[in-house]
Amino acid sequence: MGDGSRVRLSAVGCRHGRRTVVDDVHLDIEPGQRVALTGTNGSGKTTLLRAVIGLHQAATGVIEVGGHRAATAADWARRRKDTAWIPQRQAAGRFPLLAEELLESSGAPVEANDAATQLGVGKLRARPLDTLSGGQLQRMYLARAMGCIAAGAGLLLADEPTAALDFDGQADAARLLTSLPVTVLVVTHDRVVVDACERVLEMAAGRLREVT
Amino acid sequence: MTSWTEFWQLLELPAVQWAGLALVLGAVGLPIVGVIIIGLDIMPVRFAMMHVALLGIAIGLLVGIDPLLCAIVACGLSGAALTPLARTPSGLSGAMGLLMSLAIAAALLVLSISGVNAAGAFELLWGSILATRPGDVLLLGVLAVVIPGLFFLRRKQMALLLHDRELAACSGVRVERLTLILLVLVAVAVAGAIRLTGALLVDALTLLPALAARRLAHSLRAMVGWAVGIGVTVNLAGFALALMFDLPPGPVLVLVAGVVAIAAHVVPRHAVA
Ligand SMILES: Nc1ncnc2c1ncn2[C@@H]1O[C@H](COP(=O)(O)OP(=O)(O)O)[C@@H](O)[C@H]1O
Ligand SMILES: [Mg+2]
Repeated sequence: MGDGSRVRLSAVGCRHGRRTVVDDVHLDIEPGQRVALTGTNGSGKTTLLRAVIGLHQAATGVIEVGGHRAATAADWARRRKDTAWIPQRQAAGRFPLLAEELLESSGAPVEANDAATQLGVGKLRARPLDTLSGGQLQRMYLARAMGCIAAGAGLLLADEPTAALDFDGQADAARLLTSLPVTVLVVTHDRVVVDACERVLEMAAGRLREVT
Repeated sequence: MTSWTEFWQLLELPAVQWAGLALVLGAVGLPIVGVIIIGLDIMPVRFAMMHVALLGIAIGLLVGIDPLLCAIVACGLSGAALTPLARTPSGLSGAMGLLMSLAIAAALLVLSISGVNAAGAFELLWGSILATRPGDVLLLGVLAVVIPGLFFLRRKQMALLLHDRELAACSGVRVERLTLILLVLVAVAVAGAIRLTGALLVDALTLLPALAARRLAHSLRAMVGWAVGIGVTVNLAGFALALMFDLPPGPVLVLVAGVVAIAAHVVPRHAVA
């Protein structure tokens, strides 16, 4: 485990169809820095995060994580291994997946299991994901991300990771997110999480601006 | 009803033995294909493959290559060609209808050029379980090894892919390649099963055991186990019933599989969970 990856975005633009939803975004994040990304619904936060791991193809600009750009399939595979991602919409899935299979997919099953226990969902490991409540599922995805970090990821991209959590869960998650030895970029509307970050950015209509 | 002595005598007929062997081999590989079909959400794939196979036969007849071989190859290629459509959630299911229309149109065109009538070509595609040939058994035998083998080696990747493609991609699964392999396998297996048993029985061998298993199991691994177990049981029981009561095996197998699938949906969930 290092001190996290440096992230550099330069002139990044993303489109959905013909609509530009991320526009000329420049961003430099130091290794280990924790950054909160806020902004109104539909301002392009999720799209920006997805572009970093190649789930949405950026139309313009350059994205570097840990000094690496991604062009080939092998580059993207590496980028995804270097990045822990918590999706905004955690699919309960069309098809059954056990919680332990989700935890195992992190690449570090033991650490992911430990994290699940810490987050209070350790006992639900043998359950299929579609039988978990929204909050339990979100805790499970958090635990998976801890596993990814244990497996060597230096960047955590978390998309509203506390949206479905109760107050205790929000506090736990905020503590966890900010105690990690990695770079963190977290989309959130949660005061507790924002306060735990060193830097706050706001996105509006696809444009990024610094708040603090 | 046939007496026991008559029943045992029936079992000594080579045609019955080949058919029984084909059904057992089919029950090992094909229900897993059914699970994959449900997982990829491509239920209409069997109709699409029927028409693609017809196109293959038409091309085979036109250029003078073994039409059935052409049918299998055509199905495999069209399965591979569908891979990019799996990128969007409903891309694959939507493509099945399109593939079916295009294939039947192309087949009719090729048939009219080659001067063969369409019914004759369709006949080649139609099997009957009691007319099973060694070649069909060989294909089923290969599928009975390859499909469970692939499942065993790639079960974790498959579970992630069928659950959520993006999660799989972020977990180091090579989703494009795995999707390609699964689609080719499904296409070839369905084509082989149609050839073996006719279009009606394909459901009994593939989808119905998988649908019952979907209801009874909560993980991919358990689903595959249930599906194969149900497949073997249904095939043996259905075939035995057909022989005993001197009924056509195809419809009896479909009905038995259908009853099991319905029963699986009627038992309350907590009774099996
Ligand atoms: N799959 C999609 N197809 C078309 N438009 C989309 C899609 N996903 C998001 N959008 C649009 O892109 C814009 C940005 O969305 P998103 O990045 O999800 O915003 P945020 O996460 O900030 O709420 C929104 O206007 C949304 O309607
Ligand atoms: Mg969002």
